[in-house]
Amino acid sequence: MREQLLKSFVDMDEQEAVKIARELVETDGGAVAVLDTCKEAMEEVGRLFEAGEYFLSELIAAGDMFNQIMEFTLPKLQGEEVASLGTMVLGTVQGDVHNIGKDIFKVMAEASGINVIDIGIDVPHEKFVEAIKEHKPELVGMCCLITLGVDSMKRTIEVIKEAGLRDDIKIIIGGGRVSQAVMEHVGADAWADDAARGVRLSKELLGKE
Amino acid sequence: MVSPEMQKLAQERAARMQAAIELKEPDRVPFTGLGGDIVAAYAGITAYEFEFDFEKNRQAAIKWLKDFPADSPVGGIGGLDNLAMSVAFVDFPDLANQFFMVNGPMNDVLNMKFARFPGRQLDEYSSRQFIGGKNMEPEEYDELIADPVKFSYEKILPRIAGNLADLGSPTSLATMARLGMVKAQQAAEMRKTGAALAELGYPTGGGSTFAFAPLDYIGDHLRDLPNLVLDIRRYPDKVKAAAEAILEVLVKWTLQGKAAGAVQAGFPLHLNEYLSPKLYREFYWPTLKEYILRLREEGMRSRLFCEGWHDAHLDTFLELPAGWGIAAFEKTDVRKAKKVLAGHTCISGGIDVGVVISGTPAEIDEYIKRLLGDMMPGGGFILGPNVGNLPRNTPIENVAAVYEAVEKYGKY
Ligand code: B12
Repeated sequence: MREQLLKSFVDMDEQEAVKIARELVETDGGAVAVLDTCKEAMEEVGRLFEAGEYFLSELIAAGDMFNQIMEFTLPKLQGEEVASLGTMVLGTVQGDVHNIGKDIFKVMAEASGINVIDIGIDVPHEKFVEAIKEHKPELVGMCCLITLGVDSMKRTIEVIKEAGLRDDIKIIIGGGRVSQAVMEHVGADAWADDAARGVRLSKELLGKE
Repeated sequence: MVSPEMQKLAQERAARMQAAIELKEPDRVPFTGLGGDIVAAYAGITAYEFEFDFEKNRQAAIKWLKDFPADSPVGGIGGLDNLAMSVAFVDFPDLANQFFMVNGPMNDVLNMKFARFPGRQLDEYSSRQFIGGKNMEPEEYDELIADPVKFSYEKILPRIAGNLADLGSPTSLATMARLGMVKAQQAAEMRKTGAALAELGYPTGGGSTFAFAPLDYIGDHLRDLPNLVLDIRRYPDKVKAAAEAILEVLVKWTLQGKAAGAVQAGFPLHLNEYLSPKLYREFYWPTLKEYILRLREEGMRSRLFCEGWHDAHLDTFLELPAGWGIAAFEKTDVRKAKKVLAGHTCISGGIDVGVVISGTPAEIDEYIKRLLGDMMPGGGFILGPNVGNLPRNTPIENVAAVYEAVEKYGKY
């Protein structure tokens, strides 16, 4: 059944994947199996995206399937030891309301075992600081799709510095406007304009790969 | 009265563009120029003043164009895409196009839910924003397919326009009356701006109107993009039927722009980057292609602004007759596009605004030199920025470096 779930998920057969997951989750140890299989499937979808075989529509569909399945799987995992690689506070920076890319990255990061705290879009600098204080993450992810957002990221990182929190965290930036040059300009630690690479780099920053 | 000298300049500029569109080598590379928020900053005014005050807007544009002349102008008060309202009123050709762009003063009257303007919902220095949203449920596809115009008027308009929420109410009637007054004032202002541009040697007439891939109407205004992407898998037949129904309405609307003098239709593409070549060809391209061909039959050419990555779909242009129009690119490398499209499609873009914002003048000179060296030979190329908006704090010496480099290396 795990094999079938993996295959239908990666082939984008939503109905079939959800149906199998629903059956599997009721079996002994099924919830853990569903979780692991879906994570594996998300990783495979990410690989196909990086290889140019899958496009954004497949990432969105996969993210949606993952969320649908997790909705009935996670409650069954209460009490199980689910390993977390670490915590990331994630948001789209002030002035920018694009959320599609951030949401895709979020699901893929979660599927890889990172605990993501999503603080939304158009996030004021201070809200990043508050979230860091509250959740004590190892990573902070910032998303930016408009040119104006670049300044906003720079300013956010300055405010994090002023709050004395910069040394406690690693910062990774993503979204359509980021590059090596932007990363250096704003003072982040890593950048990725595709979700699969972003997840890989996040794991590296966590020392987990 | 426009001086003969400026009339001649306007003719030269128009001829330069025309030659590139016809895939020839003009005298110089046509250059659409830089613009955006920087124009207001250069004139020392806020984004709020630039978007709400016609006189200040006009003076800012004139100042910019005197120092940074190009082959097409900046100028006029911009707005946000309000296509659902044009669709709702498409049976009124004197009105439908008037509603298409909601600018600041119009939005004060309409109160659109997708819109945020400087000095209103935003601070005075931010440029206007379209924030989108979901305005239709999947169960409503049948209604949309049956009559896209009625659906837009009865269902969408009340959901997106705060002051038209209750159609037929005194508030909604007063809103439409006020909108008419605002539009009349604006028409007079736009004529003034047009006259000022003519005095600076910019072509009058032969303008551009808008057009949209039918699926982008659904993605931008009805379902919100990620939902549409899921609908394509869940309700493929409905999505296709909706695209066809919308095509008829949109073609009609764009041709109203032609009747008002436009010779070109600009399509901003949104869903393109999301789709695999298979989904693109099955769902997006058929109605887009037909749209382009139908406009062509009526003597209009198209300009497609391919947002995001368009690499996977480049070859679809080859299904159109050579010289059909202009393909403008954002992330796709224009050199790569040229390999596929040379001698067939005029290519536009090339200047990554990231380089203008963060490069040095020397780097920019070198960048433009290499770009033009690769793109000018053989003609069929219009130089321009990959996105339309330079932020307020773009170093002005970098802007100057672009124009100087175009002057230096842009001669055929
Ligand atoms: C969809 C869209 C919109 C939608 C947004 C819907 C939504 N809910 O997000 C709407 C219509 C609302 C919109 C509005 C606007 N938009 Co818009 N939009 C786009 C469009 C077409 C696609 C963006 C997108 O979703 N891409 C797909 C996602 C998946 O890509 P991504 O974000 O890069 O994410 C990937 C990676 O970067 C990574 N990732 C994402 N986040 C993160 C985070 C981390 C930490 C990591 C590691 C990785 C990572 O994973 C993702 C998957 O691989 C682009 C054009 C284009 N094709 O790029 C324009 C575009 C981004 N928009 C643009 C503009 C200008 C605007 C507006 C300002 C327009 C206006 N005048 O109102 C407003 C923005 C208002 C604002 N303040 O933000 C410009 C930006 C230009 C610029 N350089 O500034 C673009 C490029 C279009 C253009 N060419 O002009 N837009």
